[in-house]
Amino acid sequence: MKRLAATGRGVLPFLALGVVWDLLTRMQVVPALFLPPPIDVLRTAWELGRDGSLWIDIGASLGRVLIGLVVSVPLAVALGVAVGLNRWLAPIVEPVVGFFNALSGIAWLPLAITWFGLGWTSVTFIMFNTIFFLVFFNTLVGVRTVPKIFENAVLTLGGGRRHVILQVLLPGALPSIVTGIRMSIGFGWRALIAAEMIATTTGLGFLIYNASNFHQTDAIVVGILAIGTLWLATDRLVLQPLERRTIERWGLVSTAP
Amino acid sequence: MSGIPRRTVVFLAVVLVAWLGWEAFIRLSAPGRIDDALEQALHQDTPVNIAVTLPFAPEDFHIRLFQGYGVVSGVRGTTVLINRVQADDVWRIARNYWVRQITPQGGQGG
Amino acid sequence: MARWQLATTWVVFLGGALAAWSLAAATLPVPAYVLPPPLAVLTSGTELITKGILPMYVGESLRRIVLAAGLAMLVGVPAGLLLGLSRRIADVMYPLLNFFQSVSGIAWLPLMLVWFGFGERTILAAVNYTVLFPVIFNAMLGVRSVPRIYVNALRTLGGSRWRIVRDVLLPGALPNIATGMRLGLAYGWRALIAAEMLVGANGLGFMIFNAQNFHLTARIMLGMTIIGLLWLLLDYFVLRPLEEATIARWGLVQR
Repeated sequence: MKRLAATGRGVLPFLALGVVWDLLTRMQVVPALFLPPPIDVLRTAWELGRDGSLWIDIGASLGRVLIGLVVSVPLAVALGVAVGLNRWLAPIVEPVVGFFNALSGIAWLPLAITWFGLGWTSVTFIMFNTIFFLVFFNTLVGVRTVPKIFENAVLTLGGGRRHVILQVLLPGALPSIVTGIRMSIGFGWRALIAAEMIATTTGLGFLIYNASNFHQTDAIVVGILAIGTLWLATDRLVLQPLERRTIERWGLVSTAP
Repeated sequence: MSGIPRRTVVFLAVVLVAWLGWEAFIRLSAPGRIDDALEQALHQDTPVNIAVTLPFAPEDFHIRLFQGYGVVSGVRGTTVLINRVQADDVWRIARNYWVRQITPQGGQGG
Repeated sequence: MARWQLATTWVVFLGGALAAWSLAAATLPVPAYVLPPPLAVLTSGTELITKGILPMYVGESLRRIVLAAGLAMLVGVPAGLLLGLSRRIADVMYPLLNFFQSVSGIAWLPLMLVWFGFGERTILAAVNYTVLFPVIFNAMLGVRSVPRIYVNALRTLGGSRWRIVRDVLLPGALPNIATGMRLGLAYGWRALIAAEMLVGANGLGFMIFNAQNFHLTARIMLGMTIIGLLWLLLDYFVLRPLEEATIARWGLVQR
């Protein structure tokens, strides 16, 4: 009951915003060309949904995020642990990865287009890049901040290198890794929308950018609402539970996100 | 103020000093880019036709920039001819370190 | 590892990487525009500086991000603090603000294009939006994260409402505000580059995107390096120290 009330309170401001929006457009304070009334947006959403194009675009965007995650995360975690273990390599690699982190995302697009042309490959490359370096960096930092004493404890108790990695370093670095994954999806999702505008002909980014060429503001608003809703759903249903579980279970020190 | 980290304070101070130095360099060097005869003409407060000489062939970037100040009427080698430029804008053009000289059109610059 | 050892390893590493890159550029059977050698990137850098292009574009991009940072501080922080003052308002606003902060300014860009046309106003609107919402959101969370006991303590001692805001809520919210600024600007810098690519006529984003049309790959790589370095400088010297300092000084241990 309490939860229901909380959800209700959360929906309330959206409803209020919808009413204000409706009034503004109905009284023609804002011309329909600039901001279509909510009912038009709903109709457009219905039409786009019925002819399937909205689902194709949503599928394409989500698919690219998923591919980026599936390819990059295991690679980034494995490399991050491997480099983090190496006392020589780690201090050198860390600033390099930090640099690529600072550069991650959309800034790679011109180079990606030069190398791979317009299309799937360029966008996937951007996603891979963004996710990989953020997760790599966070894994590396996570592994390096696990207190040495835990490692020594396992070694003293007769554990091997494998035990140290699997039972100390990975769990110890897990909160940091999960934070990295969470951040990488945030940055990746934003980069994806921008990249789709320029480099492809499917996806939510393309949907809204193409619509703006034809001044179809109703379709743009549908796209924006889809982008926001998808992010909130991912955050609520995947990221928050994942983070809560790992930090509660293995978190050595919890810091603010 | 004591709460601001030293690293940040030093960095911002360096940025500020560098900026002031750069601004000083621009102010001191700008008059040297404007031809004496042109400088006299600028006092009359009417638009002038100028020829801007660069040390390289102008690119799209430079033409577009100059179009904001007046009517670009032609390019002769590394010289760009601009018509109807206000005095203030001539000074703005002179602030660019990559400009070699600004002369009146038809005069020594032609 | 000693400092000098680290420095030497660094030099060796960097030299090795550059040598490998040069070698690859010289031997790989690809057109020069696909992989220009590091020397070409350097040359394009000096060329862009002599021609005055790079300084102007860097200046334009920096001007826009600094403007967005200023607006976020002047408007976003007070707005977030105000919203956070009342628990009821904060609860109601939370999902709304979370929605707006998670839709990046780039997603709004097509709509802004219709509103403001291709030009400076659209870029500024997209970047300011992107920076503003994480700042408002985090400032609000920051106020809410201050334990009630501190507020009550001051109130018991007869502190006025203004004193409570100034001496308890604002300092208590500072770590979140710093985090919000850092995150907002990180998103904002990328949104700026993207917006400059899509609608710009100047700025670093425009520079690298335009260079792609002419296959000036060395120029793209140079632009990317500058984009990365500028962010690193800003982050290392300003954003991160401020975040760390506020957490160390006013950070309340949570959880």
